[in-house]
Amino acid sequence: MSQPLQQRNTRSLLTWLPLVMLAGSLFFYLILMGHIRHMKHQQLQLKQNNAWAAYIHDTIHIPARLPGEYQITPGTLRADSAADSANLAFLMQAHQLNGQSYIVTTYISAKEYRHLLIKAGLAEATIFIVLLIAIVIVNRSASRRLWTPFYTTMNTIRGYDIRQSKPLSLDTATDVEEFDRLNRTLLDLIDNVDQAYRNQKQFTENASHELQTPLAIIRSKVELLIEGPGLNEDSAQLLQEITEANERLSQMNKNLLLLTRIESGQFPESTPINLSQLLERLTHYFRDYYENEVAKTTVTVQPNVRITANPALTEIMVNNLLRNAYIHNIPGGWVDVRLTPTALIIKNSGPAIEGDPERLFDRFRKGRVDNRTTGLGLALVRQIAQLYHYNIRYSFRDEVHELEVSFH
Amino acid sequence: MKLLVVEDEPSLLNSITRYFRQEQFICEGVSNYADALRRIEDTPYDCIVLDINLPGGSGLQLLKYLREDKKKDGVIIISARNSLDDKITGLDYGADDYLTKPFHLPELSARVKALLRRKYSDGNALLDLNLLRIDLASRTVTIEGQPAALSKIEYDLLLFLVTNKNRVVSRQAIAEHMYDGPSDQAPGPEFVYSHIKNLKRKLKEKGCPEIIQTVYGLGYKLVL
Repeated sequence: MSQPLQQRNTRSLLTWLPLVMLAGSLFFYLILMGHIRHMKHQQLQLKQNNAWAAYIHDTIHIPARLPGEYQITPGTLRADSAADSANLAFLMQAHQLNGQSYIVTTYISAKEYRHLLIKAGLAEATIFIVLLIAIVIVNRSASRRLWTPFYTTMNTIRGYDIRQSKPLSLDTATDVEEFDRLNRTLLDLIDNVDQAYRNQKQFTENASHELQTPLAIIRSKVELLIEGPGLNEDSAQLLQEITEANERLSQMNKNLLLLTRIESGQFPESTPINLSQLLERLTHYFRDYYENEVAKTTVTVQPNVRITANPALTEIMVNNLLRNAYIHNIPGGWVDVRLTPTALIIKNSGPAIEGDPERLFDRFRKGRVDNRTTGLGLALVRQIAQLYHYNIRYSFRDEVHELEVSFH
Repeated sequence: MKLLVVEDEPSLLNSITRYFRQEQFICEGVSNYADALRRIEDTPYDCIVLDINLPGGSGLQLLKYLREDKKKDGVIIISARNSLDDKITGLDYGADDYLTKPFHLPELSARVKALLRRKYSDGNALLDLNLLRIDLASRTVTIEGQPAALSKIEYDLLLFLVTNKNRVVSRQAIAEHMYDGPSDQAPGPEFVYSHIKNLKRKLKEKGCPEIIQTVYGLGYKLVL
């Protein structure tokens, strides 16, 4: 699972640093132990030397035994002997005086050394913990500072939308060479993508535009042909099919052109529009035009509902929503149109759409095989709604399609 | 009636002039700015069908020139550029009508005739066809003196057919003509049939003979 950089960094520090420190502590402890053992030995040896030197110098007044310090007894010893107990450490060595063998044992307290070891250990542990916290804190703040350009870049890119031809500004002088390079690379990449996108759009627009003329020529020639003297039922049928195909092509082309024009922001002018009036006019037309197909149209429009948008686009949006409700209906069905100050709600009877309702607004996505539609009507609606940040909601329940466009 | 068609696409120009010549119009066609200017200077036309994008200049310039010269030729702009700006500019410059390409020839013909009617009506806004009388001002139809109650769509349909009388008008052309919405989004012609049926029935009720003929599945023709 992915984690934020900071968290990951801290986590790895907290995993490895204590291990390193533990190993360091162990090493320190061993060294300290070695030193202490050496020191103890040195001290015992020194005491041994001093005690024996004092004893041979003055055998009468120097006692042979001083508890906790030394003990001199006659006897022989094969080898030096030393031991460490909880409280006391001693060293036994053999010495000669006037042909007589003596065993000198010197004692020192081991407690202090053990205390020293514990205290040094505690001090070291404290230092290590403080060090660990300090490293983590310093590392976090340093890396936060270090990665700032990266997060800035990320936020800038996230806000970038290729459809809005706003240039992207990224800092290419961040004081960190890698980030400079990253930003330069990103700028180049986006530049290329943007260029490709614009070319593609321009191409679609040009292609649609160029297609218009031949389509218009075909249409006019067919219109001349249908009045020609040689028309019979057979040729009329062929002409009818040519006309239908040509009209569909023509309509698709118009819609594609419209889509690309909206995408490239060619409808900038916005004016206040009386949506109520527009809706009254269009519903009136649709009701009359489809009166034999769709039996009942109910219209509830609040007067003087106004929105600010491009008049042509608004009309296309409302028109396409209405037409959709009439075309995807059932014989003798109904359409219900409601307009409130915040939303336009169109309900209609109709068969269920096939496939995913989420994709209803995609281009060339059709509910059923139908040569009456171009598959672009709702794509246009969505494009226009996106332009003005309107919210579109579609639902189908109990054989009723409901489409709502909210303006706020 | 004298008509000038200014259109840069030769094939389309040919279609338009041919269509109008079939209706006893004297129709001339030119395909560039210079030729158009020469014709306009030479002859007064009853109506000029003017494309905006022309080799050698803009149709709007021609229009401006025409109006500054106080010429009264009726002008209908036909433009592929379907922008509101062109339309507004065109009408501001003194065009009488505006039609977006691609258009149906019967639609252009209806626009030209409507323009000529307005131009030469002398205040009597009546279309008298012996049998039928159409009052253009009040949008009413009388058949042998009797008023026929037609809906808006049926009236538009009848007027369109009458304007294109004795010619075949395709169902698509009718559907687009009757349409009241944005010019790019006219519905398909599937429902033209039912409106024609209603119109025929209403005319028949008033004792009008069968003047609307169905031309195979293609379209309709009003014969007078």
